[in-house]
Amino acid sequence: MEERVGQVWDRWITKLAYQGHPEAAVQLDDVKAALGVFYRGLGGDSGLTISATTPTLHRARRNWLHRVAGTGSKVELAWYDERCLYLPQRLDVFPQADLNRELYFWLAALAGTPASAEVHRGMNWLVDNQQRCLQTLSLFPGLKPRYQRLVDAFTARRDPAELKHNGQAAVLSAIYQALRHPGSVTELPADDFAPDPVPLWLHPNPPRAEGLHSEDNGKDRDSSQGQSKAGEQRRRQAERVEKPEENGTTLGVRHEADLFSYAEFCQMDRGCEDEDDLDQAESIANDIDKMAVTQDSTPVASRIKFDLDLPSAQEDDIPLGEGIRYPEWDYKRQVMLPDYSCIVPMESRNAEACDLPGHLQATARRLRRQFEMLTNRSVRLRSQYDGDELDIDAYLQHRSARMTGRGDDGRLYSQKRQLQRDLSCLLLADLSLSTDAWVGTRNPGEDCQVIDVIRDSLYLFSESLHASEDQFAIHGFSSRRREHVRFNCLKDFGETYNDTVRGRIADISPGFYTRMGAAIRHASVLLAKQPAEKKLLLIVTDGKPNDLDRYEGRHGIEDTRKAIQEARSQGLVPFCITIDEQANQYLPYLFGRQGYTFIHRATELPKKLPQLYLKLTGKLLEH
Amino acid sequence: MNNLTTIDTSAAGSAAFYQPQGNEEALFMHAYEHQLPVLLKGPTGCGKTRFISYMAEKLGLPLHTVACHDDLSASDLVGRHLIGDGDTVWSDGPLTRAVREGGICYLDEVVEARKDTTVVIHPLTDDRRILPIDRTGEVLEAPDNFMLIVSYNPGYQNVLKGMKPSTRQRFLSMSFDYLPAAEEAAVIVHETGVDQAVADRLVALANSLRELKDQDLEEGASTRLLVYTATLIAAGFEPLQACRAGMIEPLTDDTQTVVGLMELVQATFGAQ
Repeated sequence: MEERVGQVWDRWITKLAYQGHPEAAVQLDDVKAALGVFYRGLGGDSGLTISATTPTLHRARRNWLHRVAGTGSKVELAWYDERCLYLPQRLDVFPQADLNRELYFWLAALAGTPASAEVHRGMNWLVDNQQRCLQTLSLFPGLKPRYQRLVDAFTARRDPAELKHNGQAAVLSAIYQALRHPGSVTELPADDFAPDPVPLWLHPNPPRAEGLHSEDNGKDRDSSQGQSKAGEQRRRQAERVEKPEENGTTLGVRHEADLFSYAEFCQMDRGCEDEDDLDQAESIANDIDKMAVTQDSTPVASRIKFDLDLPSAQEDDIPLGEGIRYPEWDYKRQVMLPDYSCIVPMESRNAEACDLPGHLQATARRLRRQFEMLTNRSVRLRSQYDGDELDIDAYLQHRSARMTGRGDDGRLYSQKRQLQRDLSCLLLADLSLSTDAWVGTRNPGEDCQVIDVIRDSLYLFSESLHASEDQFAIHGFSSRRREHVRFNCLKDFGETYNDTVRGRIADISPGFYTRMGAAIRHASVLLAKQPAEKKLLLIVTDGKPNDLDRYEGRHGIEDTRKAIQEARSQGLVPFCITIDEQANQYLPYLFGRQGYTFIHRATELPKKLPQLYLKLTGKLLEH
Repeated sequence: MNNLTTIDTSAAGSAAFYQPQGNEEALFMHAYEHQLPVLLKGPTGCGKTRFISYMAEKLGLPLHTVACHDDLSASDLVGRHLIGDGDTVWSDGPLTRAVREGGICYLDEVVEARKDTTVVIHPLTDDRRILPIDRTGEVLEAPDNFMLIVSYNPGYQNVLKGMKPSTRQRFLSMSFDYLPAAEEAAVIVHETGVDQAVADRLVALANSLRELKDQDLEEGASTRLLVYTATLIAAGFEPLQACRAGMIEPLTDDTQTVVGLMELVQATFGAQ
């Protein structure tokens, strides 16, 4: 009973203390796509993705209601780093949804305007933001009326004259002054507390976890692929702390100044944790101010099973040769790192020749019939100006037109034209560990994993292309750091598609990580050797490029992008097919908006892949 | 009589306005004097065609423009026999006409044309300068004032419709790009008569859009689109509406991209 009353009180007081306008809230997800275009159009870094920010402590004075309710100590503000532009998950600062929406675009503009070097460094938050405002407004004068509206609405929320503390009132007036006339305020009046957060400005001291993206931390770390997709993807402030002594306290008070902040060390042994605990951990994580992650020898939280040791040499696929070295692009230094990654071509050890699985037979038959129509054949074009034969129909029409006194243009011939499909296609399948995930049902009552979907896709793809007599090869890849990028040959260009190849396809299994750049470079080399006039490089994947080292994140994205550009310059046509729901956040940057497609329901990939190939090559060959 | 898009602009009255980008004029003059064929490359709507009509006018040559398309064959260029009243009549194609009469023959977007067209282009581009016509048994020799010019857009599907190196190596090549901001604005002012301020903003907006190429857009806004938009604005359209119709909608079909780009337009022009 007491607990129940407590909950009701908590809900009521929290609601009462809340100062936003939930009824006019605008969600980041609703404007994300448009914001991205806008941000890049203003000159923002096109490699950044837009993501929800983490709520951070602001240390400003709170009113009594907030103090009673225990809320209002955190605020979501916009900021950006080298990987993401962070914006609040939702904005309800203003009572009108229009204004909240405009605020999103204003924040993107503020972050996207190319700032001069001195704006970046060494200036305090107050001056920095005013300078940014000035710069943004001078570059994009059209934003002035919007900025004015936002400032008016913001300053109308609270009148400094009503504030009890003189210090706070003075600070607020100064901020209003800075908003109304950017560049006019260089210093804030003294006050015991930090100034109130200003939602129109960027974050005063963006949370950055030092060492979080360290170059190569050598530990098998969670690749974040296994984390729950659902729910808010708020970033949590994380900082790496030393692991406390075994007999140490479990409550680590880290900042003497925030005695009331709530930081906790929980020894998380995720090995034995079940689902309930995970949910609880999530709600705790929402309350906690800083989440500390220690570098422990055991792998950190993950929702998927990890099994990252390479199989023993007797069990593993047969490596073909020493390995081939490829360079890798270091975007930070803008240089190619020569011979940085090593491709190890592999051949399946345990593959046994087999027939097409039963559940695909019917579809394969249909596809074969469809694709047989594509084999090099000739068509006869009628009503041509010239050609090798007379078109009788056209001639009769011509005669009758003449007899009735009408003229026509005399297209009396028919012409035979060879339809050439001079095309090679290399399909590169992502066989990383994430393909171990479950995606749905293949047949009623039969659950399947991503790898099953990929396997079926490869089967049907091969059946189709075999029927159309197009040249094709199939390779799979997965990586474990730069020294070991496995490149499984399933079907080479020279081979015919037969039971042996089917056996290799049957034998594919989830591997390790996704060092996409190296795999694309190797595939490009193989494909470029083909004599065909048109060369298509199809990449089938379920997620972002990543690996254990720094390949995670921006480095991997930039390297992959570079590899794709190289492929294009070699005259190949790269195209990506993905089942990752987040794909639209990074694939346009890699492949261009026309260079990829997203399959909504992963289980439809096998059927859609051949059709997609048709559409693509139709486009390629319509000439 | 035939369905070719041949535009003869030699009789056009007013002199074409052209803003030079570099030394292309001098290069072109030399090519003409030494009877060398020329290849122009550059993104769509950056002034290639305008440059040719300007030069044709300057040199006082008739201009035969052929807009190439994927069904354009060699006989479309050279000519063919047509059935007349009781007999067949030979009809010259635009290339043959240009070789007979002299003047500039301009094959726009030449990579779009069918491959057999290269067969008739090749003998015209080396020192022989001849056009053999199989059907009639003629071999035409190009007069001194004949000049062959082809253009293509390397950014557009370059992989699929690239030019063969063997063809490419027969031409003097010039690369075109969008003009620097100030000059592009001057072109817009000259073409449409809008205010300098409006032209400056349009160019700034276009340069923002060009940054989005290959990621959000297939291609950036061309000078041609800018001129269209400025024409609308000069005719009294609201800048926002004009930009939407003239610059945003032609570039993308994706609704979210349109929303984002319209925000960009507003940031440049201001909400009205």
